[in-house]
Amino acid sequence: MSARPRGRAGGRADKPLRRGRVLLGTLVAVVALAGIVGLAEALRPPPGPSTIAVADERADLRAPLHCPTPAPPDERDDDAVSTLQPARPPVAVSSSELLDCPHSFDRRRVRYRGEAVGGVLRREGGAWAQINDDVYAGPAGPLPGHRSYRGHNAGIGVFLPDELADELGTVGGPGAQGDLVEVVGVFRRVDPGSQEVAVIRAASVEVLRAGAPRSDPPLRDRQVAAAVLAALALATAGTERLIARRRERG
Amino acid sequence: MLFRPSADDLRVIGRYTGKVVYAVGVAMLLPLVVAVGAGERNDAYAFVVGASLAITVGAASQLLRTRTTLDAARGLAVVGSAWLVAPVFGAVPLLLSGHYASYLDAYFEGMSGFATVGLTLANDLDHMARSVNLWRHIMQLMGGQGIILVVLTIFASAGAVIGTLHTGEGRGERILPNITHTARFILRVVVAYAGMGMGLLWLLLWRGGLEAATAAYHAALLFTTAFHTAGFAPQSASAAFYRSQPVEVVLMVLMVAGAFSFALHYQLWQGRRGELSRNLETRTLAVSIIAIFAVLAVGLGRTGVHTDFGGLFRVGFFQTINAHTTTGLTTIPHRLFVTQWGALAPAMLVTAMALGGMAGSTAGGIKAIRIGVLLKGLRRDIRKVLLPENAVVVESYHSTTRRVLRDDLVRGAATILLLYLLLYLAGGILGLFYGYELTLSLFESTAAGATGGLSVGIVRPDLEWPLKLLYIAQMFIGRLEFLAALALGGYVLSMLRGRT
Repeated sequence: MSARPRGRAGGRADKPLRRGRVLLGTLVAVVALAGIVGLAEALRPPPGPSTIAVADERADLRAPLHCPTPAPPDERDDDAVSTLQPARPPVAVSSSELLDCPHSFDRRRVRYRGEAVGGVLRREGGAWAQINDDVYAGPAGPLPGHRSYRGHNAGIGVFLPDELADELGTVGGPGAQGDLVEVVGVFRRVDPGSQEVAVIRAASVEVLRAGAPRSDPPLRDRQVAAAVLAALALATAGTERLIARRRERG
Repeated sequence: MLFRPSADDLRVIGRYTGKVVYAVGVAMLLPLVVAVGAGERNDAYAFVVGASLAITVGAASQLLRTRTTLDAARGLAVVGSAWLVAPVFGAVPLLLSGHYASYLDAYFEGMSGFATVGLTLANDLDHMARSVNLWRHIMQLMGGQGIILVVLTIFASAGAVIGTLHTGEGRGERILPNITHTARFILRVVVAYAGMGMGLLWLLLWRGGLEAATAAYHAALLFTTAFHTAGFAPQSASAAFYRSQPVEVVLMVLMVAGAFSFALHYQLWQGRRGELSRNLETRTLAVSIIAIFAVLAVGLGRTGVHTDFGGLFRVGFFQTINAHTTTGLTTIPHRLFVTQWGALAPAMLVTAMALGGMAGSTAGGIKAIRIGVLLKGLRRDIRKVLLPENAVVVESYHSTTRRVLRDDLVRGAATILLLYLLLYLAGGILGLFYGYELTLSLFESTAAGATGGLSVGIVRPDLEWPLKLLYIAQMFIGRLEFLAALALGGYVLSMLRGRT
């Protein structure tokens, strides 16, 4: 690909840039970019309490999976729950365990703990809720209250029968931390009723911590920067319009 | 031989790039209003900061005086530079939201949005402010519509060269003789689908249990993603969050509509429904979707996860449509592609993403027209071999009109096919270097290069930074279909090494 010096509309060819001006232009562009990045970094929310201790449980795709042996068909718990027979104690699981080894936990009674987020979606006979068990559901709390970044949210869809769905009060989302709940139910890698994939059909739910609205403290330095930059933007845009009009007239 | 560009060349590129930056700043005013309305005060100030920076730089660039006209080469360089610079400003409110670990992550998100990819590095999306999540989707809308086309049509000052810019953004031929009329037609199509799609989604989500206002917000965001074949979603669980077959059906219709070229939409708009069955692209796309789904179903069936065909069809067909239209919404947690889908079914998703939708649509990938042209070219060559030497073999295809298959067309399609395969391979190799399995690495690399947006989990905030940079480059190059990116690269090279 070649870039040729092109003539102006008037026909006079422009002089190619000198190497020094190319370097100067590059320097200006780099400084401008650094300025934008630096300003944005300076105006980020504060790091928050430094005492938050968060275990790093991020899944690494390069690590080998060690899944428990699936239960034999006669030891699966799905029928036990549906007929309300006494069942074995549920297995405490996390969403990453369920998604890493869905076949190991298929039709097993599990105990799962997490924050209800997004909404409670009513269906015939119950409701669906997304229950996240990531670090943001735990003691660290939602972003942007801290800088303990632990990646994407992690959770599982849970179907709650009508009598349990009403237990959920606050769901997490913008400006709110949802109820922290503990669900006991049967995990299905494909739910036979709804055809939903990797879900828990809850038999019981307990609210461990009620959700609450959340507000972040106002950031004064950001307010000042916004006011100064807005004034600068208005002044620049106004000047540009003024000059453009003069050029059009002249 | 390379010639170093003149100062006027750079001024005209800077001036038009500045118009796009200005438009990005103006676009931030919408999430600003939402932030004020929703009481997201810190985010409102973040949008003031972002918009002010963009408007200041955009307006200042208009002070660059030049009498040079925007020709094809400069136009392509403008497209390339604008698509690199727009996320620089788009990333500012993202970083200020506190959901991104670094500016690089926010820039990655910006590029993923503008390029309608859908790969995300957002931390704790489920608690993200509504205004910030809306901004992610607005970037998709701007990128899907072609920011250059929209901006320069509004400014209406680039004259005849807008057509070149239109092509530079990976769009095909003009639908109408006048590019402004083309833009208006595209807007009409978008508004029509938005009315229908958002209305239906709102109704389904509202009846499904979301509050009316929340349902409207989700419907708007989902429409933006599905119709622009992007991949961001209001919730981290993506389309699976809604647990609703009717919602999935509406999304599939919107994704397919988004993967149709606007030229085809025009034909349908004119009542020419026969175009659907005659058009080489729709035929190629239909055959490809059916074939890929058939193999995917076999692969998924062999895993034994789904015991009845209904459930397999629901999950498999949605993911096939989703991958082939390069959208990136999912109805299952992405981890299950690795732990539950075996090897064959994910390989089919990679194939679908790699092929992509139609040229002149919002979809990415190699594009159905190129595959169709190559297959036609292959058939012509086979016929040449089988027929007597002096026989004249003419192959034709239908794309709004009957066209004769020319050698240069086949050659061009083969070149782009090869470039895309190299693009997918590049990310795959770097992924291998960092210890990821070949299949996973190719999945993610293809998702970035084809703007497919599906993920097996490699793309995450603690991803190695060289991979982040490479995926950014893949998203940029893949979205612009090489031409504009190569033109910009040529300008940079000629500045450094060109003769005076």
